[in-house]
Amino acid sequence: MALVLLLAGCGPLGLRRQPAPPGALGAENREQPALSGDGRLLASLVERGGRSTVLLQDRRSGQVLPLPHLRDHQPHSSPSLSWTGRYLALLIQQGPHRQAVLQDRASGRLLPLMLPAGREPQRLSLAADGRRIAIELLDDGQRRVELFDLSGLLEPDLAPGLRQSGGGEVLP
Amino acid sequence: MSIARGMVLQRRRGAALLLAVLSPTLLLTGCLGDQLRPLPGLNQRLSQLGNGHDPALSGRWLALIAGQQGRQQVQLIDLERGLPVPLIGLNRPDSQPLSVAVDLSGERLVVVRQREDRTELVLHRRTLMATERLPIEPAGVPRQISLSADGRLLAVEVSRGGIWQVDLLELP
Repeated sequence: MALVLLLAGCGPLGLRRQPAPPGALGAENREQPALSGDGRLLASLVERGGRSTVLLQDRRSGQVLPLPHLRDHQPHSSPSLSWTGRYLALLIQQGPHRQAVLQDRASGRLLPLMLPAGREPQRLSLAADGRRIAIELLDDGQRRVELFDLSGLLEPDLAPGLRQSGGGEVLP
Repeated sequence: MSIARGMVLQRRRGAALLLAVLSPTLLLTGCLGDQLRPLPGLNQRLSQLGNGHDPALSGRWLALIAGQQGRQQVQLIDLERGLPVPLIGLNRPDSQPLSVAVDLSGERLVVVRQREDRTELVLHRRTLMATERLPIEPAGVPRQISLSADGRLLAVEVSRGGIWQVDLLELP
């Protein structure tokens, strides 16, 4: 039943190994893990119906959290979570193209993240507060990373006790 | 049933079918169709690093793997100052970084790198300028990683016996 059972306890360097939450279908591939900023949630990719599908779980209980809007857009890749896991950014398939999207689990909205034409997203990393996203792009055969501002689109997902400051870009 | 009534029903069925086919697309394009707002100053700095991939965004820090042809290194960018910060002792001429993660303070970086004929997982403490290898037990080949904001919990994608699994490690 358990997907990966690692022996709990201390290893070399004081590392403690924890069991990953079990998958729903026994031993299977599980790829591209992404922790929420607070470490409570774990997103990973599993195969469902032969297609790579994001699985969002409470790390401790293993409870699977529903993502109904993503059901028809496999294969999924590159999940990335905000601080509490309110926001899940990932790549989905839309027709022949990969599309970066952001699922707001609080409102149920699925937001497309529209990139300039000709740029194919390869990998995402969402800032824990949800104010920025870094996207690895394939542009004319070259891989590069670009940053985008989300502060006008999303409410921040802040850690408890963190004060809110300006988003966007600050340069010397 | 009159011919006119039959045609009306047929049109309604056609419209319903069209809506059913298009609804996933409408879901994605109907809410927000605006392009993402790039951060041009920071993106210009990133382009000066050469090709980049595998971004990891955490607070004011962006870690990525970047460099010119054949010489890729882990880079850590302070987004508030728009400048790379030194990672003394992390990048080595005999290793090729594959993926990277950084904590919210920019103090801890975890890197998967290819060195000689093996793939290794290392933890770098920036202010201590110390890099240590994190053992993978049972043995396996690491690939993608994700670090919680406090830098204490690490999720690692590991290949073992032809199956990709996710290990969770509490770091000291």
